[in-house]
Amino acid sequence: MLPLSLLKTAQGHPMLVELKNGETYNGHLVNCDTWMNIHLREVICTSKDGDRFWRMPECYIRGNTIKYLRVPDEVIDKVQEEKTRTDRKPPGVGRGRGRGMDDGGARGRGRGASMAKMSGNRGAGRGRG
Amino acid sequence: MLFFSYFKDLVGQEVTVELKNDLAIRGTLHSVDQYLNIKLENTRVVDQDKYPHMLSVRNCFIRGSVVRYVQLPPDGVDVDLLHDAARREARGG
Amino acid sequence: MAATTGLESFVDQIISVITNDGRNIVGLLKGFDQATNIILDESHERVFSTKEGVQQLVLGLYIIRGDNIGVIGELDEELDASLDFSKLRAHPLKPVMH
Repeated sequence: MLPLSLLKTAQGHPMLVELKNGETYNGHLVNCDTWMNIHLREVICTSKDGDRFWRMPECYIRGNTIKYLRVPDEVIDKVQEEKTRTDRKPPGVGRGRGRGMDDGGARGRGRGASMAKMSGNRGAGRGRG
Repeated sequence: MLFFSYFKDLVGQEVTVELKNDLAIRGTLHSVDQYLNIKLENTRVVDQDKYPHMLSVRNCFIRGSVVRYVQLPPDGVDVDLLHDAARREARGG
Repeated sequence: MAATTGLESFVDQIISVITNDGRNIVGLLKGFDQATNIILDESHERVFSTKEGVQQLVLGLYIIRGDNIGVIGELDEELDASLDFSKLRAHPLKPVMH
C-alpha cells in the first residue's frame, strides 16, 4: 500500500500533522496531492512546546515541511489499491541533479517553516494552555 | 554512479556505517540502491551500552541521506580500479 | 539483488524506525514508496531516558515522511520479547545533523 493512497483515503477524516519545525496541526483533510501538500479545514495549530494554540478555518501545508501524519486507525481499512499504477514514483523523486547521485531525499530548502496561512481572520484566535 | 557501482561490488562484506546522529552500525552489506540507501544484515550497534535502541534489530535499512561514513574492510578498495573508474567518470562516462 | 534492495522484505513485519529527530517508533510496516515515506500501523513510540526504564506511548496509524527517516530495522520479535525494557536506561538518540 502506498502512503499517498492512504493519505488520499483519509480525505474528510480528522488528522494530526507534525511539521519538521515541531508545530502540529489538527484538522480535517480536505485534499492532498502527490507531493504530500495538504489542505486542512477547522484547524488547531499548536506551537512546538505545546503552550500556544491558534484556531484557523483552513490551512495549506507544503508537503516537504511535514515530519509525519497521524490518521484514524479505520482509514487503513478503507483504502482501495489502484490496479493501474502506471507511475509509482512521486514526481520529482529520482530525477534531477546528476545521475542518481542524489542524496536520496532532503530536497527542498528551508527548515520546515510552516506554510500554513490564515485565510481571512474569521475564527482565528489565540489561546494559551 | 561511481559510488553506487563501488558499493555494489562490496556486497557481502562487513562494513560499519556511521550515521549523522553518531550511531554506528556494523553488519554485512546486503544491498545498495541508487540513493546509496544501504541494507545491512546481522547488524549490531558499535556501542551497545550507550545505544541500546536497536538491540532487537538484526536486519536494517539505512537511508542514504543520514550516512556520514562507511568504514570499509581494509582490502575493500582496489585502488587501480577505482582510479580508472574515477577517470572515466570525469571524462563523462 | 535489486529485487530486495527496497523495503519489500519488511512489509507486514514489525519494524523499528529511528527518525531524524531522534525518536524510536515501532509498528507494523503496511507500505512505502520510492521516497521512503512509510505507513506504520499499530505504532508506538519507545522513549528512552536515563532516569527511568523505556516508556511506551501508543501512537496508532502513522504516515512518516521519508525525509524524517534515518534507519528502519526489522524487529526480531523473540529477541525483543527477551529484553527487559523497564531496566533499560539510555540517553535519547541525538537528532540527525546534516
